[in-house]
Amino acid sequence: MFHRRRATMAAFLLPAIVVYGMFTLYPLVRGVYLSMTDSLGGPIANFVGTDQYRAMADDPKVTAALWHTVLYAAVVVVTQNGLGLLFASLLFRRPKVRKGLSVVLLTPALISPVMAAFIWSYLFAPTGGINALLDAVGLHSLEHVWLGDTSTALYSVAAVNIWMFTGYSCAIFLASYMSMPTELLEAAALDGASGWRRFASIEWPLLAPALTVNVTLSLIGSLKVFEFPLVLTNGGPAGATDTLTLLVYRNVFGGGKFAYGVALSVVLLVTVVVLSSATSSLLRLRERRI
Amino acid sequence: MTTDISTPPLAPRSDAPAGRPSPHPLRRLGGGLGTVLLCLGTLLFVLPFLFTIATSLRTAADVARSPLGIPHSLTLKNFTDAFSQIHYGRSTLNTLLITGLSCVAITVFGSLASYPLARITQHWSTAVYRLFILGTSIPVFVVVAPLYLLMRDLNLLDSYAGVVFIYTALYLPVAVFFYTSFIRSIPVDLEEAASLDGCGAFRTFFTIILPLLRPVTSTMLTFVALQVWNDLVVPLVFLQDPDKRTVMVNAYSFIDPHTVQPTTLFPAALLGVLPLLLIFVFLQRQVVAGMSAGAVKS
Repeated sequence: MFHRRRATMAAFLLPAIVVYGMFTLYPLVRGVYLSMTDSLGGPIANFVGTDQYRAMADDPKVTAALWHTVLYAAVVVVTQNGLGLLFASLLFRRPKVRKGLSVVLLTPALISPVMAAFIWSYLFAPTGGINALLDAVGLHSLEHVWLGDTSTALYSVAAVNIWMFTGYSCAIFLASYMSMPTELLEAAALDGASGWRRFASIEWPLLAPALTVNVTLSLIGSLKVFEFPLVLTNGGPAGATDTLTLLVYRNVFGGGKFAYGVALSVVLLVTVVVLSSATSSLLRLRERRI
Repeated sequence: MTTDISTPPLAPRSDAPAGRPSPHPLRRLGGGLGTVLLCLGTLLFVLPFLFTIATSLRTAADVARSPLGIPHSLTLKNFTDAFSQIHYGRSTLNTLLITGLSCVAITVFGSLASYPLARITQHWSTAVYRLFILGTSIPVFVVVAPLYLLMRDLNLLDSYAGVVFIYTALYLPVAVFFYTSFIRSIPVDLEEAASLDGCGAFRTFFTIILPLLRPVTSTMLTFVALQVWNDLVVPLVFLQDPDKRTVMVNAYSFIDPHTVQPTTLFPAALLGVLPLLLIFVFLQRQVVAGMSAGAVKS
């Protein structure tokens, strides 16, 4: 009787497996194959082996995009989680304002990346909000063409990403703070440990699992960023904000270099999988050591 | 309320009991500095919103004169302009339809699949589970090109069904992750009792497991609905027909942020967020009501 029950249970998997297999796993495998052809998206495709990948190695646009993607991710992961942690630890010590302010910090995460990019494209504009603000407080020298200068464009785009998701990181850290064993914190307070010492020797180790989750999530999220650079700069100025996703999109749907775009998407996959699994296993290892 | 117990010894209190070594002035300075930092930081995060709302209500000439100035006269004209420019009514309905159908499919398929994945402990089920979890880190860009060919071959380009299938496949891993870990935390006793009473897998799932999944469903759906509603990539690539486009696609393709006024940009941005906020206010009540109803019954 129990055997038949288990067979019925296994049948529950069918709809999910069909949809997931057909619209994620199959395209994934087919993509890897297509990246080794000269396909233009039509019915004719000749197998060309690693030609596309070899062409990539000679393409300065690709190396630049790969570098921008990794740099962008590094800036976002460090800043977003650093700020999130700072806000969480400040909020944890102020129970009266904790709930209200954490909701306020989360609001940017509710809107869409397109809408966030709309708002910030005006704030960053030469005569926009930020420069007007700097002007109003007398800091003319700091005024800048934020998105039009190759040295600041990528960081400006990253700032929008950080603005959107710092509240999210903060919420995860705060949840971890709230689950800390009360006795331990009380004992530390009785021993006179305060401020930085309490943070470094008690809170920081206890936050390790939250750090793993936060870093992994923000890393994957920032490596696959698309809307922010698309709307804010469309890869410019002079390709300074070109990311892997933008190159995939442009090659597949505009440039008539279909297979090349697919090969770029395989590079994106490898980047995401290698970086995220390396980071999360390093952080897990660290959790166990603490 | 463990929070209330944990807080008193931590908060720097001016009336701290005597006898405890307290480096008072310095610590209070640190605490004060932290509060200032917190207030400034929070302000920095909400300021763009307040600025967006304020600017949306001003006339273009007024904003051009002084971008940061106090509004002289308020107008709703920007909103009505943006409303027609991005075909707001139609595109909101489209987005609502796509988000709703995707959420239903993700919930149904995800909860069904998670039950055997949580309860059957064999090599093949662990492998299937891993395969699903793999999907949480696959960016849509990795599959976008082959997916386009597949949709073309299946005649699903430009159809709601195609987009809903893509979102379902994309977020099933998230649902499987949520549901499987939740079902694993439910004691198996109830199901065994039901099976002794003659309940098959179907009846057990629908009468015992499904009702218990309510709270985790609302959490999961909040996340998924946000992602689907706010997404640009999938509808941009797979829906070409202007009548089927979503709010984000219309906003993106009709408004160029580099040439237009903030008084066109900002109302469009706010209109894009509005339905989602309304739905959440509505959903939150439902969620609270459902949870308290369950608590009363047990």
